[in-house]
Amino acid sequence: MSKLSHNTTTQPKAEHGTTVSYVIGFLLSLVFTAIPYYLVVNKTITGNSLLATILGFAVLQMSVQIFFFLHLGRGPKPLYNVAFFIATVGIILVVVLGSIFIMDHLNYNMMTPQATTTKLAQDEGISQVGGEKTGACAYIGANHQVIMMKGKITPLRTESRMCDSLTFINQDDTPRDIMFGSYPDHEVYGGETKLTVKSGHPKTITLNQLGSHLFYDPLQPDAAGYFTVTK
Amino acid sequence: MGVERYKDKTMAESVATSEMNHEAAANDRVMFGFWVYLMTDLLMFAVLFAVYAVLHGNTEGGPGGSDLFSQPLALAETLILLTSSFTCGIGMIAARRGNKNQVLVWFGITFLLGLAFLSLELQEFAEFIREGHALSSNAFFSSFFVLVGTHGLHIISGLFWMFVTLVFVLVRGLNRHLVRKLALLSLFWHFLDIVWIFIFTIVYLMAYV
Repeated sequence: MSKLSHNTTTQPKAEHGTTVSYVIGFLLSLVFTAIPYYLVVNKTITGNSLLATILGFAVLQMSVQIFFFLHLGRGPKPLYNVAFFIATVGIILVVVLGSIFIMDHLNYNMMTPQATTTKLAQDEGISQVGGEKTGACAYIGANHQVIMMKGKITPLRTESRMCDSLTFINQDDTPRDIMFGSYPDHEVYGGETKLTVKSGHPKTITLNQLGSHLFYDPLQPDAAGYFTVTK
Repeated sequence: MGVERYKDKTMAESVATSEMNHEAAANDRVMFGFWVYLMTDLLMFAVLFAVYAVLHGNTEGGPGGSDLFSQPLALAETLILLTSSFTCGIGMIAARRGNKNQVLVWFGITFLLGLAFLSLELQEFAEFIREGHALSSNAFFSSFFVLVGTHGLHIISGLFWMFVTLVFVLVRGLNRHLVRKLALLSLFWHFLDIVWIFIFTIVYLMAYV
């Protein structure tokens, strides 16, 4: 037993941290929890800046845990565990960011060949493929605008002609999704299943399908409108 | 210079020194091995986070995170886990000093805080299930239950490990093997705290952004 206490007390202090360093780490971690919580609950800032801020605080929080509680980097040299940690973080970034990036584009890649052709033709303005009409417009007519602000959509009804274009403008800070059809069903319009409209980034579609079409925000189904397309 | 130093020492002392170095080296190896395990575990959590990030919007028209999550509950869980991480660290200092009673007290508090966290989490899950949301309801709930549930399973195994180790400490007293076990356990506990911080931010806070 006496040998044990000798053995454990002679280890370098800095490697394991002291009560003071634990208290500092604990207080910092409380601060780094309270700030993002306050920001989210009170909506002091919104949108992407809020997103970036709370993610930044999560990373700060992680650093506090790593330096004050895990004491990473204070062990015997060379620091293989630090090297391993950095490599792991690298792999995590590739896996997480890569997944989000790929899956964001996958809806487009999983469409049927026909839907893909329609979407491509629509995007590129190709009105004929192999002598067949794709439904895409060879020219673009007048432009109509739909403005979304604070859950309200103005105008509720848009009258338009075939091959006009319709632009969705978001004046809120939070991105909005637009789906076609009536809630909770959704249909495809002009090769588009869902439009994500961010503030300052309007989305324009070409009106190449005749008739009356509803659209709505899936998170706020009462925010809906419709447009009619005539020849 | 090394030779000079050893000249002054008695034979017994030099044997003790080499034993200590051997012991320290073994400790380092064990700690590194456990660190490698933690990093692979972290990779698993990263994949679950990626799945959640991709699928959290797919609610099939059902309610999403911002309709269901209680912010005060998530904050309470976070504060409980942060505090338990702190008491675990203080307990570890006591363990290195060889103070058995303090180890039992601080790790005991950590254990109770862990139980409190777990009961809050289970309460939340039970409420979701009562409202008819299950693992199979939609992609959002699948990814949510799997991500948060995997963390909860880690907490359960950590609590079990803590309980067994504390019983050993109580019965056998602190020996160097138990101190090493407690060091690994506290590493594991701090690690779970870090994973939870990202769950708190990405699942609970970001639902309201």
